[in-house]
Order: sequence, then C-alpha cells, then structure tokens
Amino acid sequence: MTTTTGRPAERQSDDPRVTLDRDLGIFEPVPPYPPRTEREAEFYTLGDGQMFLNMGPQHPSTHGVLRVVLKLDGEKVVDLDPVLGYLHRGVEKLCENADYHQAICYTDPLEYVSSLFTEWSPVIAFEKLMDVTVPRRAEYIRVLSSELNRIASHALFLGWMALDLGGLTPILWSFIERDEIVDMLAALTGQRMLFNYFRIGGVNGDLNHEFMSRLGDWMSRATEQIEAGNGLLNENEIFVRRMRGLGTIDSKTALRMVMTGPNLRATGVPFDVRRAHPYSVFPELEFDIPTRQEGDCLARYLLRMDEIKQSLRIIDQCLHQMPDGPVMAKLPRLLRPRPGRAYAAIEGPRGQLSTYAVSDGTDQPFRMRIHDPSFIHLQSVGLLMTGDLIADCMAIMASLDPIMGGVDK
Amino acid sequence: MDRRFKERLEARFGAQLTGPIRQRHDETEMRIGPGDVVQVMTTLHDEPELRFEFLSDLAGVDTGVVMQVVYHLWSDTTTDWLRVVADGLSRDDPRVPSVTFLWKGAEWMEREAYDMFGITFEGNRDLRRIYMPPDYQSFPLRKDFFLPDDAARSPGGGVRPMERTHAPSNAPMTALVRRGSV
Repeated sequence: MTTTTGRPAERQSDDPRVTLDRDLGIFEPVPPYPPRTEREAEFYTLGDGQMFLNMGPQHPSTHGVLRVVLKLDGEKVVDLDPVLGYLHRGVEKLCENADYHQAICYTDPLEYVSSLFTEWSPVIAFEKLMDVTVPRRAEYIRVLSSELNRIASHALFLGWMALDLGGLTPILWSFIERDEIVDMLAALTGQRMLFNYFRIGGVNGDLNHEFMSRLGDWMSRATEQIEAGNGLLNENEIFVRRMRGLGTIDSKTALRMVMTGPNLRATGVPFDVRRAHPYSVFPELEFDIPTRQEGDCLARYLLRMDEIKQSLRIIDQCLHQMPDGPVMAKLPRLLRPRPGRAYAAIEGPRGQLSTYAVSDGTDQPFRMRIHDPSFIHLQSVGLLMTGDLIADCMAIMASLDPIMGGVDK
Repeated sequence: MDRRFKERLEARFGAQLTGPIRQRHDETEMRIGPGDVVQVMTTLHDEPELRFEFLSDLAGVDTGVVMQVVYHLWSDTTTDWLRVVADGLSRDDPRVPSVTFLWKGAEWMEREAYDMFGITFEGNRDLRRIYMPPDYQSFPLRKDFFLPDDAARSPGGGVRPMERTHAPSNAPMTALVRRGSV
C-alpha cells in the first residue's frame, strides 16, 4: 500500500479504535471485537439468565433505520444500546462543500416530517453572518407556515404513538389533518414534504390564493376536527392506563440529559426557545407555553396536543397581523459573508434545533454544525426504560418522537 | 448584545481568557484553553449569578491549524447565547476534558465530535464511534479529508471507497484550507 489510511500509526493505550481481520457481521448483537470503552464492556457482559436481542434496523416501530441492542432478563429490559449510522449521509460535510443557498436544501431531509424547521435555523444563522434584515411580511409567512408544519408533525406523532401501541384507527384520523396541511403547504411551496421554501433574506414566494382558500377552509373546522381525533385516545382507558407512569423522568435529570422541547416541558420546565430566546416575530405574538409535571409518556403525549391548540392561536394571529410588503430582502446572487461565526436556535416540534455556522469569507460555509433534538432525546431511552417490558420500549421511544433523519444526519 | 454580561465575564474569568470577549448580534463569545474547560464550565453552571444550566450545543471545529471544541450555553441571567470556545487543541492529538460530569447528555455529542474529528474527550466513559462503522479509520469532518468528487486533491488508491486518506503529514495545512484563520 502506497498511502497510509488514517492518522497516526502509533496507537495510544486509550485509543478506542478497532481493527478487524474480517467483515463486520452487522446484525450480530455482540460485536466481533474486544470492547472499546468501559461502557461497552459493561453492556456486552451478560449476567445470570440474561440475553441479547436485536431490535431493528428494519423494525417498524423504530421510526426509521435504527438498531437497538436490548439486554433482557426474561421479558424485562435491563439495559439497551442504540446503534446509529444506518442513515448517516454526512450532511455537515456536504454543506461545507456547497454554497450558502445550496446548503439549505441539504438540511431539509433531516427531519423530513417538519422540514420548514430544519431549514429555518441555518437560514437565521446565515442571515446573522450577512447582517441581513428580513422583511416583516416574510417573517410572518415563516411563522405561519412553520406553525402549520408543527401541527402536521404533532398530528403524525399522535398517529405513530397509537400505532406503536397497537391502535390502528388514530393514524388514519391524524392523516386527515396531516394531508390537508401538507396539501396546503404544497400549494404554497410546491412540495409536499421537503419544502425548501425559506431563503436567506426571506421566503421563496408570497402567499397565494389557493393556499389562503385552503387554509381558511381548514381553519373553520380545525379545532373540531383535532378534538375529534384526540378523543379517540384521550379518553381511551387502555391507552391512558398504559401510558401513565411509563418512562418517567424528572426535570433535573432532563436538564442533565440536555433534553428540550415537549419532552422537557412535560417535566415542568417551561423552556421554549420562542420565549426563552425569542427570534423572528414571536415577541409580537400571544401564546402560552403548556407544561406538565408528570414527565411520563402520557404527559409528553398530552403536551403535544396542548401545543397544537397554541399553534392554532399563533396562526390566527398571523393571519390578522400579516403586514403588506416584500417577501425577500435585496441580496446579491453570490453570497460572501465576512469571516465570522453565528449561532441560531429555533423551537422545532421536537425541541431546540440549532445551527452554528462559521464563515471564512468564501461563498461556502467553513463549518456548519447542525444540532438536532431527536439525536439528543434518543440517548435518554436507556435511562427512561428501567426494568420495563420489551413492548414498553416502543411506547417510550414513540413518546420521545425521534426522527431518524435527524438522528443520523 | 448584553454589554454588562461581557463585563461580568471579564471580571470573573479574566485569568482564563485566551482572547478578547467578542459580541455580535445576540451572541457573546469567550475563548479559553482546553485545560480550563472543567473549571470554567463548572463555574458557569454552578454560580447563582451565572446559572448556565442548559447546554445548547457542543461542536468540534477544525480550523486547519488547530482544533476547537465549541460549547453554546443558555441562561436566564442574560439575553445572549454564550459561546465558549476551547481553542488551540493540537491537530495531531486533540484532547479536551469531557463535560459529561455536568451534562450527561453531552455524551453523544462528544461521541459525534470524536467520530468526525478524532477529538478525545477525557472522562467520557463511552467514547466510541457513533455514525461510522467501528473499524473505520478516518475522521470525515477534518479539513484534510476530501470528498470523492474532489478528485484533483484526493490521493486515492488502497482505501475503501468510503475511506479517504488524509493529507500527507508533512503537507502545509495552509495550502489545504481555503483562506484565513477562523
């Protein structure tokens, strides 16, 4: 071999890299190499009467391609080890090799059920780098469309949650909502899922007649329709008794696990980036931050249902306060911000989404770090499942609402 | 921009700062050496007048000259994001103390930074690759890791398609990084 692979040839004693003389059997629960870390050694040592079980990567209730190695004692889960990377695309590296406009479309598929949010945080970070002021109408359109997207995402959560517990009806009901919203957003942005609608300095297009008429039609019956869908689960005794007290976490531990969004607010911490560190036009809008004290699966579910109502309030205000004017700031085609660093965080449907962008004066970002809440929340699954059954693993995972596109980046 | 916050930070961390505190938009940035991470982060987290209990983000950065670990923190005592840059990690053997003793949830973010940059977080008890396969050797987000379509600069040959060689160890990094220091 003429070239050297990897960095230094001499290995440190605490270097956890491994070398294999054969291919990895990727679905073997126990890895075919000595443990790399303390935690791995501890996890892959079986106690008396214990066994390993692979869940995934194609398991339907892992919400994507995730493999979880469960350490079982009978039917009880003693410990678990999520194995990531099956959907890893290297979005951050791709963004570094694209120009500022192109980088935004790479961020769309991160959370593919709430794309408007994943493109919003890099857009704000780039605008900060370039000192762009966004027209107020564009800001209102961003808030309006993203809150619609939040409702669509929470509606899908409701359906998935019930589906993972074995209920088939709610997903059919929640898809009524989701489809209507997605069609609406398709009329606005041209796409049903990966919208690519936000631009540096504004949005791609102004509100159009089809979007407005669909929205008006939907708003007149939204509350009623959503209540009817919720009624299927909120008053379902099997559902409520199954969820109550499952996967409990307290606020102090949740902060230590750096949880955000509905999962943190379900433990009683009223942290919402829209209020804690306001961006866009949220200071001008009235809405509450719902919180719950229990911190269990039921609280996380009910909290999202409360958030839908707040989103409807925000949409209503946006429609009433929408100013006239342009939807794009005047910007050159080729963007070359001065060298600098910018950080922007927004409140997505799953929690805080943030981007740290570094510019070196060229037309491509020098470094673009994307922080995704799904990634953060997934590592708490092991903590939430102490001595619960295998079937509860799906319920707990579903209640955290991870999206594997965001987890694996 | 919170000017008073800058003064508070300067008064509290004067000795540990390795550069001026910079402020732009709603961000305050302080730079420290990797050896001071534990002390500075503990102070920021624990002191009642600072109360940075919320770790927003942890990112590795390769400037082409040195490695950095960048922490973003939130507190209700200021209206700014606080960015703490642990600067000046050597590119050959980047080492920095882990902050998992304050935020257990930083564990996966540190694993990610290890996977992508090769930064060793001392004290993280689960520091293994998170996205890439365990026998993978390269560190993809380093500036001397070229994408396959960057063929003109790619040494190529003798490696797995996904695996790319890093630049020769005697190559001047200034030639590889596009412009300026970050």
